[in-house]
Amino acid sequence: MITNIKEYITKILSLQKAFLAILLVVFIMALFNLNPKTHSEFFSSYNFIDLLKSNSIYLILGLGQTIVLVAGGVDLSIGGVMTVSGIVAIQLINSGVPIPIAIIICIVLGMAVGAINAYISVYQKTEPFIITLGMGVLLTGVAQQLTDAHPVSVDFSYSEDFLNLSNYKLFGQIPVLIIVMLVVLAVIYWVLRSTSFGRNCYAIGGDYEVAKYSGINVLRNKSLPYLISGMTAALSGVMLSSQLNAGNSIFGDVTALYVVCAVVVGGTSVAGGIGGAFKSAIGLVLLGLLSNAFNMLRIDTYVPYLPTALQGLIIVAIIWADCYGRKRKREEV
Amino acid sequence: MTIQSIIKLIRNNLILAGIVVLVIVTSLIEPKFLTGANIENIIRQFGTLIFVALGMTFVIMAGFIDLSVGGIISLVAVVTVTLIDKIGQGPAIMIGISIGLICGLLNSFLIITSGALTQAEALFLTYGMSLVYGAVAQIYVQGVTQFLTYSKTSISLFDAINSGSIGIVSISFIIFLVCLLILYIVEKRTYIGRSVVLVGGNKVAARLAGVPISKSIVFIYAVSGVMTAIGSVILVARVTLASPVMGTPYMTQAILAVVVGGTALMGGKGSVLWTVMGTLLLILMGNCLNLMGVTTYIQYMLRGAILILAIWLDNRKQFSEGN
Repeated sequence: MITNIKEYITKILSLQKAFLAILLVVFIMALFNLNPKTHSEFFSSYNFIDLLKSNSIYLILGLGQTIVLVAGGVDLSIGGVMTVSGIVAIQLINSGVPIPIAIIICIVLGMAVGAINAYISVYQKTEPFIITLGMGVLLTGVAQQLTDAHPVSVDFSYSEDFLNLSNYKLFGQIPVLIIVMLVVLAVIYWVLRSTSFGRNCYAIGGDYEVAKYSGINVLRNKSLPYLISGMTAALSGVMLSSQLNAGNSIFGDVTALYVVCAVVVGGTSVAGGIGGAFKSAIGLVLLGLLSNAFNMLRIDTYVPYLPTALQGLIIVAIIWADCYGRKRKREEV
Repeated sequence: MTIQSIIKLIRNNLILAGIVVLVIVTSLIEPKFLTGANIENIIRQFGTLIFVALGMTFVIMAGFIDLSVGGIISLVAVVTVTLIDKIGQGPAIMIGISIGLICGLLNSFLIITSGALTQAEALFLTYGMSLVYGAVAQIYVQGVTQFLTYSKTSISLFDAINSGSIGIVSISFIIFLVCLLILYIVEKRTYIGRSVVLVGGNKVAARLAGVPISKSIVFIYAVSGVMTAIGSVILVARVTLASPVMGTPYMTQAILAVVVGGTALMGGKGSVLWTVMGTLLLILMGNCLNLMGVTTYIQYMLRGAILILAIWLDNRKQFSEGN
């Protein structure tokens, strides 16, 4: 009986560390709320919607990234794609292109970048993360060239429609951005869960050679995730520009590493073959929740920059635990 | 000598060929290129990047990666500068370098205890640590940029590092040569240096053959930490200030320099000398583009394109050798 409980606990602990961490954060915040001195608006619908809204961009990026990671690749160019597509959207709209067409052009652009990534890293069999890192640097240069490194925004005459793209509030309080994020979440969940392409991704990420000899078209199935990731990155770029009415070449600087880290924190393996849409969402929400909780407790006013340090430590701790779990598993075999 | 053998020679020494072509083309377009002032300028630019890249070479040769160099540069810089007035310049530099060593040891401790074996795992662990080191630097100086002052002494070590020279060779260049010599001997002639290459080649085979993997991991991250710290001190001497975010751009640039030099990202193949060539190529290119008046934005784009191209070409070469 006791060993059963022990096994059960270790099983839960190995399953979803990020989810447990979220519960822990909520519990701690509840404790802080009991004390009137540290009472905050953490448990309000306003804060909940704000939390989702401010992390929707990361979530959209992270969901595309999840498929790439599951298929055994990695895409660090998403920050660059996001920046460039946001800037291109604004510049196209300013030059008179209708908004829907501008969005489609941006998404095609993102897919084109994804196709280049896929060609070089999958068909030419190179290391994906350095190729996509280089692509990210290249795209940051493109973004600087397009804007002369100044922030850009949409002209006044078009700005209302463009801003409504992510800021319009459905039912009086839910911004469109959250709905878009939920749709992307549902689609990616469905793709990974119930399509043969999604299942093939798991097979390829798990063992490339075995998948190849099982008759899966490995090259095509491993390339498609990069296109999807480019697409979601472009979409998030447009949504970000619309949310802030601004495009800036510095937006995407550290986005890619942050997003990949958050996805890995959620339980998607960097080695491929393990992961899922909801896992990634949990990882991203955890990191967002942490900075939200730190803001609510006003840690910044006691020790400036402490939240960044804590966030870094938590990333290290969870990835450390993830690696350690794999090490234990290796040694058992 | 047939044309085919010439092509083969060029393909095997792509970086050297690139450097020669760059030097010839630039000196034809811009006569100022080969003047003493410009060459001195190029050697000066070698500065921080080469030290960080030399340390990174060992890490990449062993099949790992170190993204924490950006955080280490910032942390070492702010600590060194704030300690100068309290304990003097020499001790401050010593403490700065030991902080680099401690950061490197901390990285290796995390990697060994977690049993991380792949580059990707090391990537995320060291990225997290980079955030931590950067934030510690921010907390330490409260986000304020610190300026280099020497209120108590008239002789300045930092001035000497920045602009001093013995004969015609600048002191920072001598420091670089000494570091290069030591690292080269360690890489080629010592047990630990050869172990690093073996670990990068095949970790399972290395373990079965009794190569000390954990020791190698401690060694590579310690070297990376110390070299980064030396680079940081040289950066401080050059710009005479320390900001808690100054290290960030060096992370990708150092990886770029190592990889362009020809060190295989998968590990097991590489040399500190190649990294020197890679860095030289990058700096020459930047210098050449500056002389021709190309904007920094386009240089940024080119840097990304060269990174992609270098990996791709290297990969193709390995394939053709394999066949």
